[in-house]
Order: sequence, then C-alpha cells, then structure tokens
Amino acid sequence: MKRVETSEADVHAYVDGRLSAARAAGIDEALANDPELAAQVAAMRAQNAALRDAFDLVLAEPIPERLLAAAVPPHPRAQRSGSLLQAAIAAATLIVGIGLGWFARDALIEHEGTPTSFARQAAFAHALYASDINRPVEIWAAEEKRLVNWLTKRLGFQVHAPDLSSVGYALVGGRLVAGNEKPTALFMYENADKQRMSLQVRKHPPGTGETAFRYAHENGVGVFYWIDDACGYALSGNVDRGQLLKIAHVVYGQLAAAEAAPPPSAAK
Amino acid sequence: MTPPTSNDDPGLPQPDLVAAIPRLRRYARVLTGEASRADDLVQDTLARGWEKRRMWRTGSDLRAWLFTIMHNVYVNQLALVRRESANVSIDADPTNPAWQLPVRANQIDRVEVLELMQQMGRLSADQREVLLLAAVEELRYEEIAGILSIPVGTVMSRLSRARNNLRQLVAEPPSGLRVVK
Repeated sequence: MKRVETSEADVHAYVDGRLSAARAAGIDEALANDPELAAQVAAMRAQNAALRDAFDLVLAEPIPERLLAAAVPPHPRAQRSGSLLQAAIAAATLIVGIGLGWFARDALIEHEGTPTSFARQAAFAHALYASDINRPVEIWAAEEKRLVNWLTKRLGFQVHAPDLSSVGYALVGGRLVAGNEKPTALFMYENADKQRMSLQVRKHPPGTGETAFRYAHENGVGVFYWIDDACGYALSGNVDRGQLLKIAHVVYGQLAAAEAAPPPSAAK
Repeated sequence: MTPPTSNDDPGLPQPDLVAAIPRLRRYARVLTGEASRADDLVQDTLARGWEKRRMWRTGSDLRAWLFTIMHNVYVNQLALVRRESANVSIDADPTNPAWQLPVRANQIDRVEVLELMQQMGRLSADQREVLLLAAVEELRYEEIAGILSIPVGTVMSRLSRARNNLRQLVAEPPSGLRVVK
C-alpha cells in the first residue's frame, strides 16, 4: 500500500483542484487503494459543493443602491460651478499642500521639464486672487499700459494682456505672483456674471520646448496650460472644460498675433 | 494647435468594480454574518478602494485587490471594537449575536444547506474566511495568503481546521437532527 506522499495539505489542495498534475496523479493512485481516504475526499468535495450552493444565494440578491453609488468615483466634477467661497476653499487646500512640501516637489519636477507644476501653481494663484473681491489685482485695468510695462520689466520679456471681450470677459487688472525661481505675471478677467478667469505667464528655462494644450483640474479650478517659445501660459477658471478651451484658443491666437506684430515702443 | 490631452486621475475600471460587488457582499456576509453590517463593510471597502486607487495595478485581479482591502478594513474595525469593549469575541461562539444566517431562511430549500450555514457561524471568522476564499471563491492558496497577509502554510492549516470543525459540527448538530449525505 502506498500512502507515502498523501500529506493532509496535498489532500486539501487535491480537493480544491490546486495540486500539480504529478502529485494529483499520486493521490489518484492512493485513492484507489485507500477507501478511507476516498471517503474523506468525497466528503470534502461534498462540503465544498454545499458551501457554494449555500453562499451562491447571496450573489443572486439585488445590489443595494448605496453600494452602486459607492462604486462611482468619489470626486465627480461637482465643484465646478465656481463660487468665490469654493475658490477660497481651494486656495486654502492648496496652501496646505504647498506647506507640506509641494514647492520642493514642484521644483524637482520642473528641472525635469514637466510643466504640470506650473498648472498647479497657476490654479493656486487663481483660487487665491480670484476670490479676493476688493484686491484681486495690484494694478487695475484702467492703467493697462502701466500694468503691461511693469510686468514686462519684471519678467524680462514682452508680455501682452489679450483682449477677451469676444468671449465676454473684460480685463480687471494684473499682478505679479511669486514663482519658484522666476516671477509670474497674472492677468485677471471677469465676465458679466462676475466669474473670474486668470491668465498667467512666465518664462520657462530654455530647452523646455513646446507643448500641446494640456488640461488639469486642481481642487475645483480648471487650467489649460501650454508652453510656447520658452514661455509658459496657464488659463485658469471655474468654468467647464469646453468653455475654458474655447477661451484658451482665443488667448493663443491673440498672443501669436502680438508676437508677429512689432514690439510696442512703450516697453522699457 | 494640437487637441488638448487629458491628465485626469487614474481611475478604477467601474464596470469591473460593479461586477465585483456581489462577491464582496458574499465575503462580507461570511465575515460579519449579517446583511446590513455586511453591506456597511462593502461600502467602506469601496470607499477605501477609491482612496487607494493609485495602488491598484491596471490589469491585475481587481477582485483579489478588493478582498485584500475588505479583509483589512474588517480587521481594523474589529480591533477598534475590541479596544472599546474588552470582552468582545468573535471566535467560535455559538451564541455570537454577530452571526446570523447569511441569507433568509425561506430562500433555502435544502435542510443540509440551512444547517451548514448555521454551523459556519460556529467557526471562527478566520476559518470562515479561508473556507470561503478556497472552497467558494476557488482562489489559489497563494492568492489567499496574499489577501490575508499570512503564509501559505497558515492558509492550509486554517483550511484544514475549518473543514474538520465544520464536518464535525454538521455531523453532530446540537438539535439532534442528523444530516444524511
């Protein structure tokens, strides 16, 4: 009688169909010679079948609504309709993020030439300043020429404030925003519904190359950003992606036209 | 101008997630032994899954991944309950109020199935769990070891004890009603 290889572990694995073919053959042989073992295996198989019969009943039950809801991603773009309060909350959240070391991380990423950190900072700056009712900008649109000259001087290259009246946005003004290494210019726009949008511009290190329009959604703020001729642009707003893209196209077109035109003599 | 590219969050495959719910409910039912507590556990598991979605490797077995999360959520919740009241035991207590029939009795048309379920409640949660994963879900022992974070040898010894205990319990029902196989 050969009962050498039939360890208890092997018998369980055999019953569960988890034994290698070679060892299963050994059990087959043992079963033929050992009625006691054969009965044991049969009982275990019957137990498996009974358990499946019993617990398969649960599978057939209708799924409760709350569980179907829990299978949906928890962050639908629900915060999109931007209120100033939401923007302020987003700003506060981002400040915490930065406090926890986002700045250090962003600086590292930036050296690798990834512009995503720019989008995050742009969303942060937008959330912070767009929610400021009284002082969203340092220089108001009434002094647009002074604003553009000042930002051009601080950034070290010619900047332009696009005219977004064709899409219903008027220039509110602009400000300088601290960047990682280089300052960023921020132009704030507002529509008739007091919805604000900001365009941020900064110099990127040479060799960053150009990028396609990219979209990021950071804490309730949508951002389209792109790099063109070593300048990074980020258009941020609490509007839906399609609307933001439409405006981004207008901005891009205007900036391209301004680049083609001779530089205004006012910049000094 | 090239069309914008999206860099949205990596998600979990939602159809697969929904498809996994019945099995999660069954596992939860075997753990908690009670329908509404089980569904609470499933809900917590799904929420945790979304939190940890970056940890899921695309293409890997979503069910096994969710089972792992469920096991951990359950163990953590149990530890919390135990801390709050020192005398809570889930192990092999026939009067354990936590364990009820996992399905309504009138759904069960075979007396041995009904009995088997009652006897399952007398096993420890550890043993019930291994039995479910091996015999009902038919997972490989290595997968079970991964889900429960225990060595394969422990899976096998638990499985062996669970089967023997269950067989004995079924063979000697307290009611005196014998099940003839």
